[in-house]
Amino acid sequence: MESDESYIDNLIPAGMTASTKKDNDGIVQPGLTITKDSPTVSINLDNTIVSQRLTPSSSSSDVLEEGSSFMGSMHMNPRQFSTDNGMNIITNDITGENENDIDDQSDLVDQLAQSLYSYAATTRNYPKPIISNEVPNVFQETQDSDELNKQDKNFFILSSAGKPIFSMNGEDNQITSYMGIIHTIVNYFQLNNPNNEIKTIILPPKNQKFVFLNKNPIVLMVTSTRGESVNELASQLDFLYSYILSSLSERQLSRLFGKRSNTDLRNFLEVTDFENLDRLCQVITYEFYPELILNSLQCMMVSKTLRNKLHEIMSTQLVKESKFLPRGTLLYGMIVSASLNRLISLIRPKGHSLHTTDLQLLFSLIQNQFSNMNENQELWVPICFPKFNANGFLYSYIKFLPCKNYEHNKNVLILISGQKDSFFKLKLFADKLWNKIVDENLKSKIFDIGQGYKVTDVPAPLVHHFIYKAKKYVQFTMPDLEYHQSEEDSDGNPSFQNAKFEYAKKLRTYYQQLHDCITSEGGRQLNKSILNFIRWELKSNVGATASFQKEDVNLMGLVWVTKNFELYLICNNGITDKNIIFKSARKIVSWCKKNESKLFIQDGAVF
Amino acid sequence: MLQFKLVLLGDSSVGKSSIVNRFVKDSFEDLRESTIGAAFLSQTIKLNDNGKEVIVKFEIWDTAGQERYKSLAPMYYRNANAALVVYDITELDSLNKAKTWVEELKNKVGDDNIVIYLVGNKLDVCEKDSSKRLVSLEGAKEYAKEQGLLFIETSAKTGANIKETFQEIGEKLYDIKKTEVNTDLDGNTGEIEISKPSTNDTTSCCS
Ligand SMILES: Nc1nc2c(ncn2[C@@H]2O[C@H](COP(=O)(O)OP(=O)(O)OP(=O)(O)O)[C@@H](O)[C@H]2O)c(=O)[nH]1
Ligand SMILES: [Mg+2]
Repeated sequence: MESDESYIDNLIPAGMTASTKKDNDGIVQPGLTITKDSPTVSINLDNTIVSQRLTPSSSSSDVLEEGSSFMGSMHMNPRQFSTDNGMNIITNDITGENENDIDDQSDLVDQLAQSLYSYAATTRNYPKPIISNEVPNVFQETQDSDELNKQDKNFFILSSAGKPIFSMNGEDNQITSYMGIIHTIVNYFQLNNPNNEIKTIILPPKNQKFVFLNKNPIVLMVTSTRGESVNELASQLDFLYSYILSSLSERQLSRLFGKRSNTDLRNFLEVTDFENLDRLCQVITYEFYPELILNSLQCMMVSKTLRNKLHEIMSTQLVKESKFLPRGTLLYGMIVSASLNRLISLIRPKGHSLHTTDLQLLFSLIQNQFSNMNENQELWVPICFPKFNANGFLYSYIKFLPCKNYEHNKNVLILISGQKDSFFKLKLFADKLWNKIVDENLKSKIFDIGQGYKVTDVPAPLVHHFIYKAKKYVQFTMPDLEYHQSEEDSDGNPSFQNAKFEYAKKLRTYYQQLHDCITSEGGRQLNKSILNFIRWELKSNVGATASFQKEDVNLMGLVWVTKNFELYLICNNGITDKNIIFKSARKIVSWCKKNESKLFIQDGAVF
Repeated sequence: MLQFKLVLLGDSSVGKSSIVNRFVKDSFEDLRESTIGAAFLSQTIKLNDNGKEVIVKFEIWDTAGQERYKSLAPMYYRNANAALVVYDITELDSLNKAKTWVEELKNKVGDDNIVIYLVGNKLDVCEKDSSKRLVSLEGAKEYAKEQGLLFIETSAKTGANIKETFQEIGEKLYDIKKTEVNTDLDGNTGEIEISKPSTNDTTSCCS
């Protein structure tokens, strides 16, 4: 086991940082002026990403259409702006303000904050606020006639010999030719420059990126015009590769290809593998899944007393059962909200940790694979945790705990062991643990877990949404996403899912850009402490054909990084006063610190 | 309480989990995820021993049919009192797979130690449309007889023969247990006192 101070270790996969660094050659260098040599300097820059004037001709489309448009010629990486398509980029105004300078705000600012239109204020008056996906979208979509090209993103997995293994979109016959091309490109670079593998290709007109991950005997490639950074795409590839390892293990993979390099891996992957790969691609492409770029996990908000009590029970039970459960049998244990992918509590050996990627894989496996499981069943599942040991399997005892509203929320107890025949030992432990939980009257409390919090619960006005990552714990927290159903719903159409995806799309892109502006090409954070503002602007014109006037987009985001935390936040539209925003940011930080024991698992039950 | 260990074996998607789900929860789902690893469940049934009610607890391993998990199977059948080897009567290949399971059980466990039940599932499909049947009733019956297996055709979807099958297994194992105890007690045919601690230890019960 890797030992690390933090129980969930946050190392960027070995080889990834080094390799992504190599790809710098072909990539536009950062356009932001950021002082890299003085690591403690805070930077305050107002970087407007999009400033666009809608032409009257396009204004006939309604707001929803506008909101649904997403990608296209717009270059979302702030370092790679171009000014085609009527887009103006207003560049940085670096004020060089120190974070402390904004420490104390005048009363005037306070008053101003009160008087401004605020989400927080509106909710006081209306029981059901119409908010959240009111945050406008500035990202545009283009259409392409070719079915496959219509997809703005695709993942390909093939063997090093060029045999197709998996692709997210496309029919087999289409894919085969793509795979051939990928194979040729990878080989070409390998032959001509054996020490410097192909990593990235960027095609300027649509800013289409092709990112490669060569993990002989398999090769992964992603192509996207959605504007993710190369780093982000590379980490997505690593995630898919990690999934394949979790299913097969590296040893088995190389054994399969050891015999014949032209092995067709599809014969060795099960239906569930393809389903899971599909699902992972969906999640990282269409859903809001900040776990990957943040390289951390989300925790369930649970009262301090309940969490402590659970950990106490786990610890004492472990000592009590040591006769049945010899040391070393249990490697790692946790209670997880399976529907939300969030940790509730944790049992871990002292000084040991599981990698976030491994846990993310485990959580998504549980979420995807066991949707019709119930509390009658207990599972025993061999899983390879690639970041823990890519060559071996661990065994997971998985038990669904009784809970309210089973359809929407499932809490799961997971106990992990290295011994394949230890099921009944772990089961005994789990049964005793559960009995204890029932004895202590905690059953109904666990039963009820499933509530997050809303952005309005946080006393930070004018903020639409935020993500706060506590670096020490390698965990992050954020308010629930709130999206209301769109108009079509009155017809009974299930557009809830659409509303959710639309909203996820917007948030994802805003956060991507915020995250991007603090990250170097090599995937490292640019500075030890950073304070950045980004502004997105979109001016609408009342055209002759417009049925109503659109709201101008004037959206500010903030990213604030210190030694202890990372804060990403998106303001309500129209809030552009940096002082006010920063004041709210500080309120969020102090709220998160105050509620640390509720929002994060600080230690877990250590044995 | 008397406990018996059951294991379900058979090719992927023949309906093992559906059979167990029908037995334990009396429900059926058209969309069911393929099992990964193995699922452990328990369910009690009542037997009638000359007017006396006997409660028997089944501990069931519903294994994964996917090829990948094949090497783990011995862990689940090693201590089993009975095995349900399931095939799909609309899939010829699944019977061949079932036959290899029967062989493996006989080689590794021995018939004396395990009751093997050959189960042809998805009967409802063929009742609707007889052309869907690819494994004949007679052929499978013949094979079962040759091998000395119990045999039945079931439908997890309609529930046909599911409860009955488990009931029969319970009775059969109970009878075996009874004779064992009786011979142990040197022909004493009096009341059988079976009081096993209800632990989930692998070594508990009739193994
Ligand atoms: N019509 C019909 N369909 C069935 C029956 N039993 C199972 N199915 C369907 O067959 C599919 C596979 O059933 P499962 O119970 O998951 O099969 P399994 O043997 O557990 O498969 P693995 O877990 O992969 O080993 C599911 O879609 C079931 O709905 C049946 O009796 N009749
Ligand atoms: Mg199954």
